[in-house]
Amino acid sequence: MPRTAPSLQPPFSRPDSRVAIRRVADYESDLAAMLYETLQEFALPVRGKTVLLKPNMVGSDPLGMMNTHPALIAASRETFLRLGADKVLIGDGPAMDRDTQAVIESIHLREYAGPLASIFVDLNVDDVVRVALRTRASRLRELYLPKTVNGVDFLVSLPKLKTHHWAGVTLSLKNMFGVVPGSCYGWPKNILHWAGIDRAILDINAAVRPDFAIVDGIIGMEGNGPIQGVLKPCGTVICGDDPVAVDATCARVMGLQPEKVKHIAHAATLLGHMQIEKINQIGESIEQSCTPFAVLKAFEHLRQTSAASPSNVN
Amino acid sequence: MLNDTRTFDATPATAFVQQTCLPNLRESQNKDGGWGFRAGQESRAEPTAWALLALSEFPVADQVDSAISGAVSFFERSQLVDGSWPAVAGVKNGSWVTSLACWALSVSAKNSESLLRGLHWLREDTPGDSGLWWRLMRRLGAGRNVSVQSDSLYGWSWTPGTASWVEPTSYAVIVLRSLPEKTLLSKTTARLKVAEEMLFDRMCQGGGWNCGNPMVYGVAGEPQVGPTVWALLALRKHLSRPEIQKSLDWLKGNSGNFESPASCALSNIALRTLGRQTRDSADFLPVLHDHKDIPWSVPELAWTVLSASPKQKWIHSSSGGKA
Repeated sequence: MPRTAPSLQPPFSRPDSRVAIRRVADYESDLAAMLYETLQEFALPVRGKTVLLKPNMVGSDPLGMMNTHPALIAASRETFLRLGADKVLIGDGPAMDRDTQAVIESIHLREYAGPLASIFVDLNVDDVVRVALRTRASRLRELYLPKTVNGVDFLVSLPKLKTHHWAGVTLSLKNMFGVVPGSCYGWPKNILHWAGIDRAILDINAAVRPDFAIVDGIIGMEGNGPIQGVLKPCGTVICGDDPVAVDATCARVMGLQPEKVKHIAHAATLLGHMQIEKINQIGESIEQSCTPFAVLKAFEHLRQTSAASPSNVN
Repeated sequence: MLNDTRTFDATPATAFVQQTCLPNLRESQNKDGGWGFRAGQESRAEPTAWALLALSEFPVADQVDSAISGAVSFFERSQLVDGSWPAVAGVKNGSWVTSLACWALSVSAKNSESLLRGLHWLREDTPGDSGLWWRLMRRLGAGRNVSVQSDSLYGWSWTPGTASWVEPTSYAVIVLRSLPEKTLLSKTTARLKVAEEMLFDRMCQGGGWNCGNPMVYGVAGEPQVGPTVWALLALRKHLSRPEIQKSLDWLKGNSGNFESPASCALSNIALRTLGRQTRDSADFLPVLHDHKDIPWSVPELAWTVLSASPKQKWIHSSSGGKA
């Protein structure tokens, strides 16, 4: 049975969103306990369901810089199982490296999550289904998307907190580029860039509608992300039931104005809340968590004027 | 250029291919003659091409190989009117898989009408970054120009109307360069030269290739195995150029660290073909297979077969297609 994506609603007609910011010292912390405690507050409808965790696995990453940390992926899986999910899959379609096995080996995913044969889905080479896009923000009109994404009950975007040299930031919304299969569109999925990257993000998210987002901000990436930036310890995990609200909160934590990040602003018209007064904050406050990220010159305008100013990156 | 095949025949790699990979490949063929990326999945042009190339290296002796003829039929049926192949059934436009389909047919169905139509499409297909408008826009947008690549060079794209990248360009060059040189039209020859220069232009600083971003915002990109192997095979007629030797050095120097079947098999193919075989990484593949967690995909099985083939017809044969 395909997922029934929620209807597209303008902000004035949707209830407030909830976003939790949790301080986490490092990846050796008890992430599963922290997530379980946090996710209980959301009362997620996952009991007996199939959940797909979609981490950000860009490419081979022996230094652990650019991908969602496997400790958080494994902890998220454990948490959803503890919340009663029948099955929790992990799936991604790396954009820059078609050797997904090499990516898995490079991040030691198996060592954290256990045997992968029955739980990992390479979304790049999954069987696909044609999806007519619900929005027409970009030039795309349809996409072939993995059957697994279409078939699960609950989809979780699980990105890393990073800057992005084309989109400004790459968080839970941009992370959905990974569901677009390389076996249909190549490595990288260049058609999305040519269609207009910011608008393509809206079209993809309107089509697949992630139900929840958990952002790995324990160590993020600043500057020339998403691959060649600099590690940025931030000590947070940010999660919520509205990916737009989660990304807006992440941007604020990074010292950036979400209203000026084009794809977040686009998504806020139909997919969720960006306005701070429509987001119920759980856990730490944005002020307590704010860790300004360095950005490329092209994205200086995203900075909050009051934020401390780390040096720019040329 | 190849190592002594008698020595190679004796390795455990060949037995592994004969006893494990080839039977797995044959068993995973769909009734329509094609292969999915994994056993049980719907047929697609790309895995079918790799499987067809692999089986063609080890055909069943003294009889018509029904697996091969079934795959050829799959390609004939799934070809689009314009001569191209789509990445997945239902897509109306052809893509990079046309190169792979032509490559497979050039080994197993020389002079077929399907092959000739595919080659025609491939020769005429141009990427989105080949046009003057794109170059002008890129030049005007110099402030956002983050890479150092030459705007005058282009090759082939993954999907219609998008930019040139290393892998699809390499596949197209390999296929078109396998045609008899005298049959190439002058414009195809010129196009191939531009594409080969594009590949050299996109090489990473320390040798090797990634998808096609050797430098972004002044930071050097890291090479990857797959693109490096395909670019090396596409450029093998330039073996003496220092860029090729540097890239082979990178591949050889790192081959002992590869832990995935694709990286092991592909690096072995390039190192053997270009005369740098040392450690036989093909012998490591049975070990990897025994310790597998995720079942090997059809391309992984096929590349392993191709890495162990003593004849290497798939790289060295000429298609016989008319340009």
